[in-house]
Amino acid sequence: MPPIRDKFTIHSRAVVCQDVELKGDITIGPGTVVHPKATIFAIAGPIVIGSGCIIEEAAIIVNRRKEVMRVGDNNLFEIGCRVECPSVGNFNTISTRARVHHTVRITNYCVIGAACLVVPTDDETLDDYTSIFGPAAERRTWSGRGRIQEADLRLKHAEYLREMLPKFNRLRRGDGA
Amino acid sequence: MAPTIHYYCPCQSGESVQTPPPPHMASSSASFHPLHSLFFCEECDAVRCNRCVSIEVSGYYCPNCLFEVPSASVRAEKNSNRCARNCFSCPICRSTLQVVASDPPDGGDGRPSVSLSNVGEPPFFLYCNHCRWDSAEVGITFEKPTGLAAQLQKFEDSAPESLEFERLKEHFEPFLRTSSLSSLSHVPSTSSHHLPTSSATAAASAALARDVPGVGKYNPPARSRVGRDRTANKDEMPEYKSRMEISVLGQLGSEGDGSDVEALRRMETAEEIASLEQRWGNSWTTSSRTSDLRPLRIPLHSKVSKRCPTCRHILIKPEQKAQSVRYKIKLVAANYLPAMTVALPHTQGADTTRRPQAKAPSTSDDRNVGAIMAGKSYPFHLALTNPLYDPIQVRLSVQRMHVTAVTDGTAPEKARRTPFAVSLPTSSFPVAAFAEAWEYDDDDDMFGLEDDELGLEMGRTRDKDGKGKGKTVGVLEKRANVTVVGGEVVIGKEARGHVKFNMLVSYTYRSDDPLPSEDGAGTPSRTVAKTPEVKTFTFYTVVDLGPILPREEKVDPDI
Repeated sequence: MPPIRDKFTIHSRAVVCQDVELKGDITIGPGTVVHPKATIFAIAGPIVIGSGCIIEEAAIIVNRRKEVMRVGDNNLFEIGCRVECPSVGNFNTISTRARVHHTVRITNYCVIGAACLVVPTDDETLDDYTSIFGPAAERRTWSGRGRIQEADLRLKHAEYLREMLPKFNRLRRGDGA
Repeated sequence: MAPTIHYYCPCQSGESVQTPPPPHMASSSASFHPLHSLFFCEECDAVRCNRCVSIEVSGYYCPNCLFEVPSASVRAEKNSNRCARNCFSCPICRSTLQVVASDPPDGGDGRPSVSLSNVGEPPFFLYCNHCRWDSAEVGITFEKPTGLAAQLQKFEDSAPESLEFERLKEHFEPFLRTSSLSSLSHVPSTSSHHLPTSSATAAASAALARDVPGVGKYNPPARSRVGRDRTANKDEMPEYKSRMEISVLGQLGSEGDGSDVEALRRMETAEEIASLEQRWGNSWTTSSRTSDLRPLRIPLHSKVSKRCPTCRHILIKPEQKAQSVRYKIKLVAANYLPAMTVALPHTQGADTTRRPQAKAPSTSDDRNVGAIMAGKSYPFHLALTNPLYDPIQVRLSVQRMHVTAVTDGTAPEKARRTPFAVSLPTSSFPVAAFAEAWEYDDDDDMFGLEDDELGLEMGRTRDKDGKGKGKTVGVLEKRANVTVVGGEVVIGKEARGHVKFNMLVSYTYRSDDPLPSEDGAGTPSRTVAKTPEVKTFTFYTVVDLGPILPREEKVDPDI
């Protein structure tokens, strides 16, 4: 296995704390907030994270495939979640301790509930507005009502974090390999 | 399966019998309870369980908004067993619904064109944060964000089942009132459980009797039997005419009709039919389709106070405020009886190594390592924790059992022998008194003191085998107010089922007499060096060490 070459491209307006474990070829877009103790491992292929994402503590984003893993804009990865999807869209919420397998592709406005295991054996794409909840990971489709208020809340959340996190945590400055 | 100890409450066994039933019978599990669910009555000096205490409701509250509802309004009003404010439960996932405003119109790119105001815009609807259901899917929207229960009440009241129920109640009410008046003077309240409610209704009914002149002529003592009253009432009752035909009601979404079959034929996914958990909260049967489920108001919870059945002493009395979880009076058995936990030391070594791999629990290895195999002998550890402020002397003894049947149905003549033999230390051993943590020196093991109330936990990595104890039966360790004794169980070769045995625990403690008057001994004379009263309390427990695995099986059960 070839050794992993670190290459971090972190936008100047992104807020990445120093305690974050980064490995591999990672690109982080503007406005994204990465809390301390998060883990982003681009083991086999690169990871590209969009703008305005919030990655909380103990979240694990792993790419074990050679293809690029694209994470869109304004997603929220809550504490303890583990995401291995090859592609994630915009405005999704992966709740606390959820696990999403590498066979799943997430589109936009999806909600993966807390502690849900989305681990299908075959490849699958979650449609827009899918909501997964409950211990058995049942699914239903969100009607989309209230998405504007939630989008607004996400923006405010990211803005607040961008302002507050640097006051209490050391930041990692973007650098090359 | 971890070994457990349960305590015996004699309420099920009748007045004369004090010994517990044999533990291998399935029906005897009703008499044994874990210590945290038991109470202790000081006056009767007896253990009480949840089945024998008498319960009174001391208040009602909504579990969501923690609003206390007065008991009078809960009993009087019709739908008042549910929260009257804005608390609703989602029909899909049964979590609490939130009242939200609709989205403002957007420019089309997902970002708000105008800044969102705090109040939000009508129409308001209910929204579930967990499964993202909203009430606009069933067409329920509100113009104002407050007083939702009242707005929905109108819909609920006009349902045909509700109107039918109202009619039935109006029909039966006069007869119920007269028959309850006549029965009150005859029937004595046998169980104290009914006493408070009947006294309240008796007062209400007596007030009613004074007002209505017609009932004054009705002379209950003149009749000798209550039964005759009732039959006389039944003859006088006119026939009830229902409001609508039964067949019409059947089409309203209850099961077994033609329209239901049609709907089932057109069904596409299994999620279209509502599950049992979603439907049994309704008062009456509604349509079984998921799309017809409506949000329900959250049912109120009640705070109960519990009394001893014999002496009526209050055992549990909660505080009046809904948000406080403490109790004004709390006489739980854990404050009087020593807490006991049992552990099999040969399984503990296997369990602690598995702790870091919590994500993928593998039970295949645990079962082979931690199980009890037939034909071997195992030591086990009993940890006793003393909750009293005085030291106690404990004596354990195993109750002899007559095993007459083995559940497996193996050869009956082999079942005559007891399948296992238990040896415990026979002499009494002391357990030190409970003292606050700050009373101990720093040298002692301070970490053990935090867990004193719980006794020894299974996850403790203290390796008893590593100490190289030569003996297995007897007092093994004394630490703070916890004493660990070891026993041994020898399993016969043909044994099956669970290793369960009843154990009699009797402990003696000195209670310094706080109230000299009650003793009658007259303790003001201090020259007599301490005549403390030595009390003994005895209780039964059942110790379950787990299932016995026959020796031949060493197959991986996951295959």
